[in-house]
Amino acid sequence: MIRTATPQIELRRLHRVFDQTHAVNDVSFEVYAGEVFGYIGPNGAGKTTSMRILATLDEPSAGDALVDGFSVVDDPDRVRRRLGFMPDYFGTYQNVNVREYLDFFARAYGLTGRERLSAIDAVMEFTQLDTLAEKPIDGLSKGMKQRLCLGRTMIHNPSVLVLDEPAAGLDPRARIELRDMISNLAESGKAILISSHILTELAEICDRVGILEQGRLLAVGSVAEISARAEVQSSVHVRVLEDPQRLRSWLAARDDVAELRTEEDLTTFNFAGDRPAEAALLRAMIESGFSVVEFGARHKSLEDVFLHVTEGRVQ
Amino acid sequence: MSTEATTTSEPSTATQADALPLPGSARALLAKVSTRAATAWHRFEPVLVRVGDWLNPILVKETRQALKSRYFLVVFILLLALCWVATIGAVAVIGPSIYYGASGSTLLWIYSIFLAVWMLIFVPYAAFRSLAAEREDNTYDLMSITTLKPRQIISGKLGSSVAQMMVYFSALTPCLAFTYLLRGVDLATIIVLLAYAFFSSLGLSMLGLLLATSTQNRVSQVFMSVGFIVMLLFACFLGLNGAYGAIFSGFGFRLLDSTEFWIFTAALFTLYSTSFALAFYAASGMITFATENRSTPLRICMLVQQAAWIGWMSYGWIYDQFRLQGIVYMMMFAGMYWYIMGTMLTGECPEMSQRVKRQLPSTKLGRVYLTWLNPGPGSGYMFVIANTTGVAVICVLGMIASSFSSTAGPGWPGADEVTLLLILGWSYLVAYLGLGMIVVGALRRVAEVTMLASVLVHFLVLLAGSGIPSVVQAMSVEMRDLDYSFMQVTNPFWSLSHVADGGMAEGYVLVLIVPAAAICMLLLNLRGVVRELQQVRIAPPARVLTDEAELHPPPEAQPTNPWDE
Repeated sequence: MIRTATPQIELRRLHRVFDQTHAVNDVSFEVYAGEVFGYIGPNGAGKTTSMRILATLDEPSAGDALVDGFSVVDDPDRVRRRLGFMPDYFGTYQNVNVREYLDFFARAYGLTGRERLSAIDAVMEFTQLDTLAEKPIDGLSKGMKQRLCLGRTMIHNPSVLVLDEPAAGLDPRARIELRDMISNLAESGKAILISSHILTELAEICDRVGILEQGRLLAVGSVAEISARAEVQSSVHVRVLEDPQRLRSWLAARDDVAELRTEEDLTTFNFAGDRPAEAALLRAMIESGFSVVEFGARHKSLEDVFLHVTEGRVQ
Repeated sequence: MSTEATTTSEPSTATQADALPLPGSARALLAKVSTRAATAWHRFEPVLVRVGDWLNPILVKETRQALKSRYFLVVFILLLALCWVATIGAVAVIGPSIYYGASGSTLLWIYSIFLAVWMLIFVPYAAFRSLAAEREDNTYDLMSITTLKPRQIISGKLGSSVAQMMVYFSALTPCLAFTYLLRGVDLATIIVLLAYAFFSSLGLSMLGLLLATSTQNRVSQVFMSVGFIVMLLFACFLGLNGAYGAIFSGFGFRLLDSTEFWIFTAALFTLYSTSFALAFYAASGMITFATENRSTPLRICMLVQQAAWIGWMSYGWIYDQFRLQGIVYMMMFAGMYWYIMGTMLTGECPEMSQRVKRQLPSTKLGRVYLTWLNPGPGSGYMFVIANTTGVAVICVLGMIASSFSSTAGPGWPGADEVTLLLILGWSYLVAYLGLGMIVVGALRRVAEVTMLASVLVHFLVLLAGSGIPSVVQAMSVEMRDLDYSFMQVTNPFWSLSHVADGGMAEGYVLVLIVPAAAICMLLLNLRGVVRELQQVRIAPPARVLTDEAELHPPPEAQPTNPWDE
């Protein structure tokens, strides 16, 4: 990830109020060039609303959002030149083929002549749609339409991509391919803000995540950082050759151990500590005379972190 | 798209010629011709690409869509089929008299029906649906976040309508030319008919686009769609009436020699073009991002329309030998126009965005003359007052000119009546707009008030002011049989018509009350107006300046003398 001095996306105390609903409530975060930022939250958390504000489709009630230093409120036209937005719907035209669709958006972004033709070719090659150039978009599969929409999003080579549920409804292969495409885009230096319900996928490609609930940003950072901050415990299992009950008593005396269970020679428990703390625990066990034959720790996934941080409230 | 396709598949002309079973010399000639053709094409292709780049993207996309669309194909083939059936049927019915009779006008009337239906119903409705469907199909959002300007979106849609019209004209024009050959109708009538059909269709398409932008709500869109169809049917009926008159009046070329015809056409064209511009900027404003300045272009259009209106009314007044009646009509229409515009202008958002503040006039002269064009309800209110005052001053000058004219003569209305009407009309407008603005301002403290809501509030205030005293008087046993009473002081319609009918005694009292009320309303709104006037231009952020410098770098310094490097 290339961390530049100025963030490519910056939300400053963003608010959006619809009648009685505070859809986005004081949300602030930054996304830098080359970074993939996962935006997660339950339905109605305010993800799409804040993404629409970033895409200049909606206005904030208070606060501001900046793309490459330009305010979406005051300079929407400059923002549009730098941002590609992929909404959670297709928005395709009738009686238009793949090439014509991309050609329209290339023209709409002001690309002319050879520049436009090469942009269309490059996008079709990247999204592997080049063999379907003349195919009507009505006849494309969902995965292909998703690719086409991603292609439309990047036709003007924006430095910022905002992708709202890009993997929704895709089969596993299409999902893997889309994930690879997003990783490639990030490697090329683009700042990517992505929302998805499939947390395992986000965990794989995101450098950082923001967890949103009821319009409020509950946590921002890498999964490990959020886990540590939220004191999310790792799950540890230990197998000893003899006297597991003594090990149980020894562990029960520690403050950083919880939910202790013993089944024959296997002891499992939750441990509040990072990797070095786990190593220290193992060392302490051996020094205390336990014959440890198996020691393993499973760190909490993004799903665990999400469930821990959020409370399942909807507005 | 064809141009792009050719760039990727360049045929090897020599190989193609070799493949043909031809004698050697012919093959060589064919290869030479093919090579030259290919060279010419390669020279011509960049020109086509440049033309394509210059065209509006929406026009390009919609033309491509239309060429593949079943709807367009069906409608076009239907028109062609009807034209053919009408032509063959007419020839069969006319029979041998086709050689000596003058039967062109009847056939032209039949073609006019097709022309009216296609131009005044199908094309405008397609324009309306085209933009409404973008919202329904979720493509509007995608289009609006591109770098296309709202004006480009509207002009692209209009361009698409013009392209459709041209296709339909191409089917109809040979038939219209055929009627000329049948005698009984001259070329002037056909040209006038086509010109009126074109401009009517374009105007109605613009109206359709304006309606399509005015609401995003699906239910409202359905109601609007039905209303628009009714309007189009009515326009078609009017158009057919006009066409019938033009075809069977037999004016023809004599119409072109008539000064009245040209004056009428010029006046109509002025009204058409200024209203078209107003509708165009209004439609663009509807789809423009809220923080941008949507008001100034509209206010400029209003100014131009008012100037054109004053010009034509002055012409009519001079033509009518300086009679004061002309001045009364001018006042009446100006009052209605500025009241309607005022209800919208005073409904603008009171907060001025940073973006708009960057574009405020910075010079003293600019601030004095251009501040009234800035967006905002306060400046809108003052803009309306300034314009109505301007019209009033012109009316006073007209009255003075009339007093010197020997042709103006006595009769209705007298100078006193006109003066009273002028003062009262101006005062009612200022008072009602001011009162409406206060109500809108109060509502804004508790809820969001859109421009449409503001218009409704203004009309409700006017309705209450006019209706309540009338109802009270009608319900009162003592006052029921009275004509005009001072209870109707808040009713501008009755009060003004009473003064116009010679109620001078009440008029002299009203002229004390109503202007006082107008000045009170003006003073009550002055705080908001002053707050808007105090807004000053702000500098754009450094990031914008940097971007601007990158986008538009200053030209490199050229050597000014032979010793400069």
